[in-house]
Amino acid sequence: MMSASKASRLGEEIWKTRIDKVNSELVVLTYGTIVAQLCKDFDSDYVEVNKQLDKMGYNIGLRLIEDYLAKSNTMRRCANFRETAEMIAKVGFKIFLNITPTITNWTSDSKQFSLVFDENPLADFVELPDDGRAQDELWFSNILCGVLRGALEMVQMQVEAHFISDVLRGNDTTEMRISLIRYIDDELPPEDD
Amino acid sequence: MVIYSFYIFDRHTECIYSKLWLPPSAAAAAAPATPATANIVTGDGAGSVTLAPRGGPHNTDRRSVKVKASDDAKLIFGTVFSLRNMVRKLGGDDDAFISYRTGQYKLHYYETASSLRFVMLTDTTTLSMRSVLHQIYINLWVEYVVKNPLAPVEHKGGDGVKNELFELGLDQFVRGLM
Repeated sequence: MMSASKASRLGEEIWKTRIDKVNSELVVLTYGTIVAQLCKDFDSDYVEVNKQLDKMGYNIGLRLIEDYLAKSNTMRRCANFRETAEMIAKVGFKIFLNITPTITNWTSDSKQFSLVFDENPLADFVELPDDGRAQDELWFSNILCGVLRGALEMVQMQVEAHFISDVLRGNDTTEMRISLIRYIDDELPPEDD
Repeated sequence: MVIYSFYIFDRHTECIYSKLWLPPSAAAAAAPATPATANIVTGDGAGSVTLAPRGGPHNTDRRSVKVKASDDAKLIFGTVFSLRNMVRKLGGDDDAFISYRTGQYKLHYYETASSLRFVMLTDTTTLSMRSVLHQIYINLWVEYVVKNPLAPVEHKGGDGVKNELFELGLDQFVRGLM
């Protein structure tokens, strides 16, 4: 099993040598524009906006996992969900967003954990709409939940991910909760008649 | 080194790409032997047909080659899937099935964590092609198929795999090895 420090080194190494960088303001402004447009399109129905962001993320995750596997040179599966969490936080988030969220609040069955984001490049410069509802309903970075759900599904893990707090809403931390629902079995070839 | 053929199977066990580097008749001799006159149920429900011998009426021949090719792909998948499962059962979950060899050919196998399976058939003297298959995955598959925004995520029937960049890249890469 890969230890936490080894995962950090791997993430660091890939970030330094194998990643094309883009201007972070371009990312913030592009993502902000998407969220703003969704809010407009769905008439500030924030529950629906969260759903749409999650869906977009899911479609990104389905593809992004392949880039992750290629860049990280992953040749084998994680031995357990705790290792998966390490790789998500220290390699995945590191190489694609150059951040390393903190893994915390494991349940005793090792099936649920939280990622706490000390920094969130998607949310720089952002203030939620001051309409009295966005603060309670919109999860601005919800796309990340979808990305994790899509990416993990491709490596045979069905997970559920959602934010439980966000500094944009005035909370002390930005925290995402991730739960393993089940490992997905290999699909079998159709039986010959 | 001679490379006979190359296959990609997706996580739904479907063959989404195949390529032969020899004329079908020559490659057929190298592929897992199926009896030349096997009974095959055709997709249109016409019942079973007997494969025409080579040199038969032109269109029948071509059709039978096509049927045979998809049949070979299914056989290959069945074989590597069983072998991989057996390997894991005997050697533990971290063990990997890498290759097998017959008197006629050697089959190389590489599976990604996302359950894509790459298979290559070469002559018997070729050394391990695992890293070659890995290179095909990271340099060609991920770059030209996955990162093509217009290609679908699922490649049912090979949809989106047969793009020019991927095919050219693959052909050049493989010819460079031979």
